[in-house]
Amino acid sequence: MGILSLLILVPLIGSAVVAFVPASPTRSKQLALAFTVVTFVVAVVAYLQFSPGGEQFQLVESYQWIPALGVTFSLGVDGLGLVLVFLATLLTPLVILAGWNDVEDAQAQNGDSQSEGQVRGYFGLMLLLLAMTLTLFTALDVFLFYFLFEAVLIPVYFMIGRYGVGRRSYAAVKFLVFSLSGGLVMLAGLAVLWYVSAQITGEPTLYLPELIDIDIDPTVQTWIFWAFFIAFAIKAPLWPVTTWLPDAAGSSTPGTAILLIGVLDKLGSFGMLRFCLPLFPDAAESAAPVIIVLSLISIFYGGLIAIGQTDMKRMIGYISISHFGFIILGIFVFTSEGQVGSSFYMLGHGLSTALLFMVVGYMIARRKTSTIAEYHGLSTPTPLLAGMLLFAGLTALALPGMSTFISEFLVLLGSFTRVPWVGAVATLGIILAAVYILLFYQNTMTGKVTEKNKNLKDLNLRERVALAPLVVVVVVLGFYPAPVLNVLNPYVDDVMAQVGATDPPPTVPLATGVQP
Amino acid sequence: MTPSAPVAFPDIQWLQLAPIIVVLGAAAIEVLVEAFAPRTSRRSIQIGLTFAALIVAFAIIVINAGTFQLVVAGSAAVDGPALFLQGAVVLTALLVALLMMERKVDPSGDAFAARASAMPGSEDERQFTARGYLQTEIWPLFLFCTGGMMLFLSANDLLLMFIGLEIMSLPLYLLAGMARRRRLLSQEAAMKYFLLGAFSSAFFLYGAALIYGFAGTVSFGGIADAVVGQSQMSGLLLGGIVLLCVGMFFKVAAVPFHEWAPDVYQGSPTPVTAYMAAGVKVAAFGAFLRLMYVAFGGEAWEWRPAFWVVAILTFFVGAMIGLAQSDIKRMLAYSSIAHAGFLLLGVMAVTPDSLSASMFYLLTYAIATVGAFGIVMLIRDDSGETTSLDAWRGLGRTHPLLATAFTIFLLSFAGIPLTAGFIGKFTLFASSAAAGEGWLVLLAVIASAIAAFFYLRVVVIMFFSDPVGSGPSVATPSWATQTTIVVALIVTVVLGLFPQAVLNIADHADVFVR
Amino acid sequence: MDPSAYIILSAILFTIGAIGVLLRRNAIVVFMSVEMMLNAANLAFVTFARMHGNLEGQVIAFFVMIVAAAEVVVGLAIIMTIFRTRRSVSIDDPSLMRN
Repeated sequence: MGILSLLILVPLIGSAVVAFVPASPTRSKQLALAFTVVTFVVAVVAYLQFSPGGEQFQLVESYQWIPALGVTFSLGVDGLGLVLVFLATLLTPLVILAGWNDVEDAQAQNGDSQSEGQVRGYFGLMLLLLAMTLTLFTALDVFLFYFLFEAVLIPVYFMIGRYGVGRRSYAAVKFLVFSLSGGLVMLAGLAVLWYVSAQITGEPTLYLPELIDIDIDPTVQTWIFWAFFIAFAIKAPLWPVTTWLPDAAGSSTPGTAILLIGVLDKLGSFGMLRFCLPLFPDAAESAAPVIIVLSLISIFYGGLIAIGQTDMKRMIGYISISHFGFIILGIFVFTSEGQVGSSFYMLGHGLSTALLFMVVGYMIARRKTSTIAEYHGLSTPTPLLAGMLLFAGLTALALPGMSTFISEFLVLLGSFTRVPWVGAVATLGIILAAVYILLFYQNTMTGKVTEKNKNLKDLNLRERVALAPLVVVVVVLGFYPAPVLNVLNPYVDDVMAQVGATDPPPTVPLATGVQP
Repeated sequence: MTPSAPVAFPDIQWLQLAPIIVVLGAAAIEVLVEAFAPRTSRRSIQIGLTFAALIVAFAIIVINAGTFQLVVAGSAAVDGPALFLQGAVVLTALLVALLMMERKVDPSGDAFAARASAMPGSEDERQFTARGYLQTEIWPLFLFCTGGMMLFLSANDLLLMFIGLEIMSLPLYLLAGMARRRRLLSQEAAMKYFLLGAFSSAFFLYGAALIYGFAGTVSFGGIADAVVGQSQMSGLLLGGIVLLCVGMFFKVAAVPFHEWAPDVYQGSPTPVTAYMAAGVKVAAFGAFLRLMYVAFGGEAWEWRPAFWVVAILTFFVGAMIGLAQSDIKRMLAYSSIAHAGFLLLGVMAVTPDSLSASMFYLLTYAIATVGAFGIVMLIRDDSGETTSLDAWRGLGRTHPLLATAFTIFLLSFAGIPLTAGFIGKFTLFASSAAAGEGWLVLLAVIASAIAAFFYLRVVVIMFFSDPVGSGPSVATPSWATQTTIVVALIVTVVLGLFPQAVLNIADHADVFVR
Repeated sequence: MDPSAYIILSAILFTIGAIGVLLRRNAIVVFMSVEMMLNAANLAFVTFARMHGNLEGQVIAFFVMIVAAAEVVVGLAIIMTIFRTRRSVSIDDPSLMRN
């Protein structure tokens, strides 16, 4: 058994243990935390075993699964997969720690009575979600990927619908209907891909490294590309299929929101890079203009609506839509800067979303409400909390020195070199980011403290411990991104080679517009 | 007119026919038991005989695996698809029989009227019920029906197919009218089912007559030769295919011949509904596949466009009207209509791959359906089973295990991974795409997405709605129903995760003998 | 003798039967119409048997008669139970089904 199966097995066993071993809520939480920490350690070992610049897919394991369909259970990571595995395994223990009382808080918000087993169920689902997410980031068989791409909806559905707040069942169903519709369209694409592979190679196969080598007829490519892309665009999400995300964000516990938006939604952009581009390069190229326009719309749509939000979690949801716009833009400008930037942005967005949701979660834990208007002048009673919110906000708006700055810069750089006007328009999005983040900070933290907020306690030890690693990672990667870029650069070179795209010669004067 | 050749007495392949003979023979013996055994021991004898017959039949089917021949002068086929689907029918029958013998969920007995002959609301009926009488005629009827299904799907000529169809249908008409509670509704369902069923059989028969007129024979092989040999489409052939298909569309509940399904599903005793939804679907599609592949496969491009229309209508109407249902049995009826639409993709593809995919799909669908109806039986109020969706509110809170089990069946219907339904859907869609029907697959997935929505509605009602009053009242079943639900659950999950073994069997059984 | 006349007759009978099922509201009459359709099929079988010069069609006609007889037994049983309860065999009576 290889390291990657171990990586998946640990949280999987953990989820069964946490969900089914009767224990006190505190003991269950401790168990869940222990399992996720072990998972993180395994992920670090995997990172150390990975040699950047070597084979594209490493740590590969492959087992027979359904030979009748030519389907294998194959795992392996490339640079991007590795980075996202790191993100998922890092965030989950921190989410458990930060969301220690998520279940109880949500019950208080809903006015539900406490019920036995709720805590076990929530954390059990969280571990199950982690196991599935890790399988998705490491799946080398398109069938396996699809299998979990759909299956992962089940734990998330229950995490929102059962343990969420407010209009949770509405949000859960909306999330599921959107994702499922996308997934089923992808199923049609998968069925055609399966058949096409059988026609070309003689035996049906959905093993990614083999699929990359086969040449699919351009018309068929276009069909399958769009079938896959729609599923990924709903996940990522790209305008106009974004409406589920703010609802899901608004009705989730902060922990669920981090795992959903910060980690799971990366599947969309991850899927585009891993499947859409290498498998259907011609179709991707011809679709690029449409997708670039959609992602520009996303950037502004998300940013503008975020400004007007009254609910903190929904606001972060809209901010994420804007950020996903950047990520997808970077992928489809077909430059290595853009794609490295996007890949890095996936990590950075995961970190910044986690920071924002954690801090907002701390605020909700204190006041049991997520309405922005309820908070005012928090910097007086809770200076540390206010500082952390500012830090989180600055990470989200990509201030130089934060890891997100590098990624945003690279995406914009990549866009300029390919299509200058796109880069110019996208740059305007950064101004929006400054507006919504600073307005939010100003409204909640500065000014005279209101009566209700006067006696709030500042961050306790548990809350600080949960935030600290994120702060460290964001700052370290902001000044020294090499550990991540070292694995991402060769990865993007591989993808660019598979797509057959080359960077445009640097005839465009770079100096004209790079003002991140 | 030339003098006809004397009719030769055909060889009878006893072993190959044994599964059908065992089941129908046991049914005949049960009729005698009904006449001669004392009332006190009748029920246990009937149940014992039924299970023995089904298990022996299944064993013989397994022994016969790999057989590939025509029997009884070519009028029946024992080949891969026949054996696979007969196995599926017998397994379904075993699970349904367990539901039929359940007598703990209703305080006054099983799901069937104490005496079907007693008038609803009469003094007789009250007395029979008070004395705790249980109807035992249901067992021979049930076995006849099962034998009819097995005959139906292995018939290799139109006459035997018609007879199989009738042996399957006639007992079901009766069983549909025997519900213990809400007897008027049940009798109405029986009448509706009977009249429309007989109507559709007449279409089937007239179609058979036209085909006989065209080909001069009713055996599928002979028809296939005649079809290939002709130079242009003959009116008789076309009319025959249309009428045969109308009859079949009725049986599988394809739009626009589906109107009976929701009413009949709702009114029939739930175990019988389960058998209609699962067993009849397997048998009818098995027969339909054989008919279209063997007899008319050579003409596929002629009839396929009509199938496009019917399939598209069927899965869209099933999915969309299903959305508006407030009764769980009606909802499952529309679900079965939508599934019929998907299965039509397999019928019209006419490739070995889509045959094996359809068979796998049928098996997974049938097992999950029986499991789901097993759970439907348990949700009750004072007047018996309550099928209104409102009664399911909050089931996830009060009975999490039961609600989870039902959710898994629904997920399987919706074709979500981790369940057998997904593998079935994938193989079916992939084989259909391979047959060049990619655009149809696209429409089918859109319909699946709509259908998924109404399955989810039930999940929402179970898990996220607050219970009405004191919450759903759930009867505690005996081991029989529990076994059905657990077995169906295990099969659904195991075939969802490790389908290889069964896919292999289906793959090796992907050719019809002709 | 032109056998096609019998085919036309059978087609007419079949059509009358089908129209009867669709238009009449008395269950017994509907049922009789179905039987008429079966008999139309029988006539077609026998005629085709003569046209093709083999016995199959005639044998089938016997089978169909037996099946039809069984159908009558089952059908009348169902219709009778409903009649005893409701004192009416109209299939138009207010239905309990929620359509």
